[in-house]
Amino acid sequence: MPKAVRYTANSVVYFNGDITDKIYILKSGKVSLNYNDIETGQEIHDLINTGEFFGVKSAMGKYPREETAVVLTDAQMVIFSVPEFEQLAMQNTRIIMKMLKVFSNQLRRIHKQVRNLISSGNEGLDPEEGLFRIGQYYLNTQKYQQALYAFRRYITYYPSGTYSGEATLNIENAEKAVQGQARITPISPDMGSQLPPKAAGSADQEELSDTAKKYYNAVSLYSQQNYQAALKEFKSIDQSGNSDEYTAKSQFEIGRCLLGLDEYEQCIQHYTQMIKRYPTHPDLRDALIYVGTCHEKLGNVQKAVGFYRKVLTMASENEVVYRKAKRALRQIEDK
Amino acid sequence: MNVDLSMFERFAVSFQPGDIIFCEYEPGDNFYLIQSGRVQIVKILGDIEKNIDILQPGELFGEMAILEEAPRSATAVAIDKVKALEFNRQNFEILMKGNPQIALKLLKLFTKRIYDQKRRFLILTLNNIEARVADVFLMLAENQVVDDPEQDQRTFSATVEDIAHWAGMSYSECKKVLNHFAGQRRVEIYQDNIIVRNINDFQRFVNSQRNKQKSEN
Repeated sequence: MPKAVRYTANSVVYFNGDITDKIYILKSGKVSLNYNDIETGQEIHDLINTGEFFGVKSAMGKYPREETAVVLTDAQMVIFSVPEFEQLAMQNTRIIMKMLKVFSNQLRRIHKQVRNLISSGNEGLDPEEGLFRIGQYYLNTQKYQQALYAFRRYITYYPSGTYSGEATLNIENAEKAVQGQARITPISPDMGSQLPPKAAGSADQEELSDTAKKYYNAVSLYSQQNYQAALKEFKSIDQSGNSDEYTAKSQFEIGRCLLGLDEYEQCIQHYTQMIKRYPTHPDLRDALIYVGTCHEKLGNVQKAVGFYRKVLTMASENEVVYRKAKRALRQIEDK
Repeated sequence: MNVDLSMFERFAVSFQPGDIIFCEYEPGDNFYLIQSGRVQIVKILGDIEKNIDILQPGELFGEMAILEEAPRSATAVAIDKVKALEFNRQNFEILMKGNPQIALKLLKLFTKRIYDQKRRFLILTLNNIEARVADVFLMLAENQVVDDPEQDQRTFSATVEDIAHWAGMSYSECKKVLNHFAGQRRVEIYQDNIIVRNINDFQRFVNSQRNKQKSEN
């Protein structure tokens, strides 16, 4: 049973380094959590609000306390054991939600701090190059299925990226290799490490890879700024409905083609429908930026600003879409 | 974990052996709960593929996606035929309400991640590179389950690359430090494990470096 306990001013609830499984909720009075900031070494005093839990993380994780909890004025609190706290949280998921939010903020901060200290090696690789290199690794090791995955993702995220031409070529090669392999050996559970070297392509192509080919062909038309031809291809993939994956991807590209063709109203309409159909489309935020661009071109600056701001709330600062949205907003301000 | 997940059937996804579930550097917006089959987490470093972890049914992965759509930090590959539940930020709340056990599990996972990251951060704050390498071993020792916690000699199934990764150093820089330690007979380096002769000696060394650094600040 959780028990109510009184603490007098200047007493200590627990010390930094203690290992206990107690979780507290402050009912009245003032309690401060004192610790040294891991980055600056500065001493921090965090005041606990009444109704707030403390000691959760170390108790649940069975870690030593990372702060000293000092009672500033006479205080009342309720003490839970971890199982008691869990029981309470399961009945009231809002508690878990709130904790997750607090923890995720802390996690985000510490991640950032760690990243700031690491500037060497792989960690600093930008995601575009990183993704492409992974594809290369799998291609070199003849793990074609995995290579296909990485390159296809690359093309999806960076259709006109630095390596998009190379990635498209590699996809074709890997597809041929996979089809060659498929007739010889099924993809083995050890992820294909013992598969024979690249074999020649076979004639009997599957529906899916046809669609994929068509898609990448259209992507390359788009990169050549041949929007009309690209649009036609993407529309035909969309209508054929052969592959969910490529239908969704093509939907996104259709919007980009319309924008390239200066068909702003059509583009807005198209993306609005796409978002309804695929509320979690991987390119959702990019689509919103394009919708903003269309509004801007049509002279609806307020609407454009609304869309760009929306994207800012959906992205984190180090993402490309975030910077795109930010840049667009700045350009509007400068006008 | 014995919980009823039938109501989440609509979030079920399946993968064939060898399928990539997500790839390092890819933007991430989904996280997964394994229902059946195993998932391997790997990282590609140069021209080697490094196993980070093998996950079993009931385990969660990709959970960082709940925080931010930052690029994935590793690749997840299906080892067996895998069935998993796929969640994202949008349907996360449904999951929470329908199944607080999973939410609680996630909460615990976060406490562990925060602790691990803080520990990692502490290593990186050491200016002295030898102390940094020694502290990596201390961190690994803290996560080790040993019969006798007082025992001085510890064996770690880690490679030089692993140590370099945790210490935030280049391979060659880390190798130099380890060779120096080996010359002093403080460590023995083998193909895929490293023996620390006296972990308490490392502890004292790191503590003294920390104190020195503190007094300099």
